[in-house]
Amino acid sequence: MTKDIEKLSAWYDGEISKEDFDKGLENLGSSPESKKILHQYAILSELMQRKSKPQASKLAQLSDYLPQNNPWLSNAFTAAATVLITIMVLYQVDADRFGSDEASQMQLTSALSSQEAKDQLISADQNIMDHMIHIMQSNHQHEPNSIPKEMIPVGFMPSAKNPSRYTNGNNNLYFHIENKQLGINKVKYFKANNNWIYLVPLRDGRLLTAYGDVPPELASKMIRSLN
Amino acid sequence: MGNLTGDEMLINEIKAGNALAFEAMVIKYQPKLLSSLIAYTKSHDQAEELCQKTFIRVWQKIDTFRGDSALFTWIYRIGINLAKNDFASSYAKSKKKTDPLDVSEHEISSHISPEVDLIGKEAEEIVFTFIETLDIDLKTAFILRELEGRSYDEIAKIMKCPIGTVRSRIFRARQLILEFMTQENLLND
Repeated sequence: MTKDIEKLSAWYDGEISKEDFDKGLENLGSSPESKKILHQYAILSELMQRKSKPQASKLAQLSDYLPQNNPWLSNAFTAAATVLITIMVLYQVDADRFGSDEASQMQLTSALSSQEAKDQLISADQNIMDHMIHIMQSNHQHEPNSIPKEMIPVGFMPSAKNPSRYTNGNNNLYFHIENKQLGINKVKYFKANNNWIYLVPLRDGRLLTAYGDVPPELASKMIRSLN
Repeated sequence: MGNLTGDEMLINEIKAGNALAFEAMVIKYQPKLLSSLIAYTKSHDQAEELCQKTFIRVWQKIDTFRGDSALFTWIYRIGINLAKNDFASSYAKSKKKTDPLDVSEHEISSHISPEVDLIGKEAEEIVFTFIETLDIDLKTAFILRELEGRSYDEIAKIMKCPIGTVRSRIFRARQLILEFMTQENLLND
């Protein structure tokens, strides 16, 4: 019996030969219990899809680049990369806090529900993910004075050891500014383990990328000041 | 392992008129589609109705599916288009559908369960917490499959173990999670 259900599990995943597929289908026709289990697998998959966020696979790619430049990030990401899936990136748009438009939120929410829809979203945001990979790879470091003071969250100061890093003693934040906005007109932010990545379109047409272990509660002042 | 994927075999059977294969497809994808449609419409009732319409449309149009995209992508697109049509119709305050469903509804409606109970938000965290307690090998294989959509072959390479072991681990993880959900009354019969 256990072996039969194990076969059903593989059948559900499509990891079977044509012969086993036919047998599995035949079994489904004669066994309400098999249908019930298949249904439960589907329910479980849907549940897991909620946890599966759009950029997960893309961030696995991103993680390949991270160790090259930012040591404090590299530890977290390298550890995560050893088990690829432990990198969970949440594509979040908080409409209340950041005033994101409802349509994009709806699009994102529905996209979370399936791998395929997720892939579509990843494709749509290819430029953004490429940009993130680019900045992670970049060796260019902004001097402290190049970052407007209003962008710095309260309590954060440039690190004495690394001027491109801002710290409040507990949390770290890096900044990157580029003369492009990649079609982003609302703040977008991502979570990768305990790290957050903020993409903030500036009024002057530039794009501010801030990344570090700074949650939205701390970063919100910075983000609000820019909008 | 055959050359065809599970979905391709399913599609071939459905195209050949196999209603059981169609029912299997509905069982497999209805929760995902419903979840997407609930997110899109913000209405469980409307999403359920759209879900049924979508599968009826899938049955009617399956011959036009060429395999250019994954099966669920195609189903999802039909569902979203139907939802958009619904929105457009509502907006125009018109009862008239732009692309009415006409044939075969009765023929296949018995294969579509009217209600699918998705796991509630509060139960979601309970299940995820339980998954965290699973043996690391079971959890890793299961998560690589369910979150990353990795094939058994890929998982075997990542975990450096035979495919048969991957298959057993995924099955065992599912079994333990479902047993837990049953014990906690998180699954409806």
